[in-house]
Amino acid sequence: MTTKDLIERLGLKPLSKFEDRDVDGVFVSDMMSDVMAGAKSGNLWLTIQTHKSIVPAANLVDISAIIVTSGKEVPEDTISLASRYDIAILSSELATFELVGKLYGLGFGTK
Amino acid sequence: MTEIQFGFVVFEKCFHCNTLRTYFTAGDVLILGDKYREGDCYWSRVENAQTFQFNLTCSRCGQVESFGDLMGLLHCTGCLSECKVEILQRRYEIEKTWLVVGFGFLPKSDQTLVPGYKLDILSDYFNQRRNTSRSRIKIVPSYLIEDLSCCKGDFIHDVGMLSSETPSERKLLF
Repeated sequence: MTTKDLIERLGLKPLSKFEDRDVDGVFVSDMMSDVMAGAKSGNLWLTIQTHKSIVPAANLVDISAIIVTSGKEVPEDTISLASRYDIAILSSELATFELVGKLYGLGFGTK
Repeated sequence: MTEIQFGFVVFEKCFHCNTLRTYFTAGDVLILGDKYREGDCYWSRVENAQTFQFNLTCSRCGQVESFGDLMGLLHCTGCLSECKVEILQRRYEIEKTWLVVGFGFLPKSDQTLVPGYKLDILSDYFNQRRNTSRSRIKIVPSYLIEDLSCCKGDFIHDVGMLSSETPSERKLLF
């Protein structure tokens, strides 16, 4: 499943320009240190963090897309940086728990 | 990554000489604003950032490379167009290679710079784990930043995580 497939199936709102990629696994954390230590290449990253440093953190570990949950507003500088890096920032009104449930229902598990 | 230990990088500033110093602690979070005197210096804790320390272990030969001297990785925000890091970033961006700056602990005058070969090992670590991305990472040394007091880069670490509100702004540390 690719990023664009997920956008369609989960009703996610794309905020940045991005490279469509295969998604491989899900990582849930609101800590960049946790992501850098534990996320894997191709993971979806679910978070409520919106500071622009989530973009270089995601880029370091080759995250396929960042989903900002709970309808958190993403600042323009974060979106611009993500577009520059071609990393998808997607928005969901759902809480992280609910979104994880839907992803699990689509067959996603952690790598 | 092996021997991962989560903890805090503590940033302290002397308001007498304006020196910034940092150290890692795996203990309890230290209170911000705490002040104490050490000789002629009056130190105040200005930031706690949640981070981690780690080793890289070769899965083939078992060689261990410790990164205990790495304070953190800084993302260049392009605040100074003539900064060597920003100049390098503009050059590498064409090849979709993204720079981060590897910092040792501060102050710069006292720190042992993280050796270049270790930054290369860490760059290789991140690059070899990229499955489908066309982009690459390059970790560059902190001495490329000539004047830290002018740097508005962002460290890739967690600040304000003990707040009930999601942090959106960061203090300028330098």
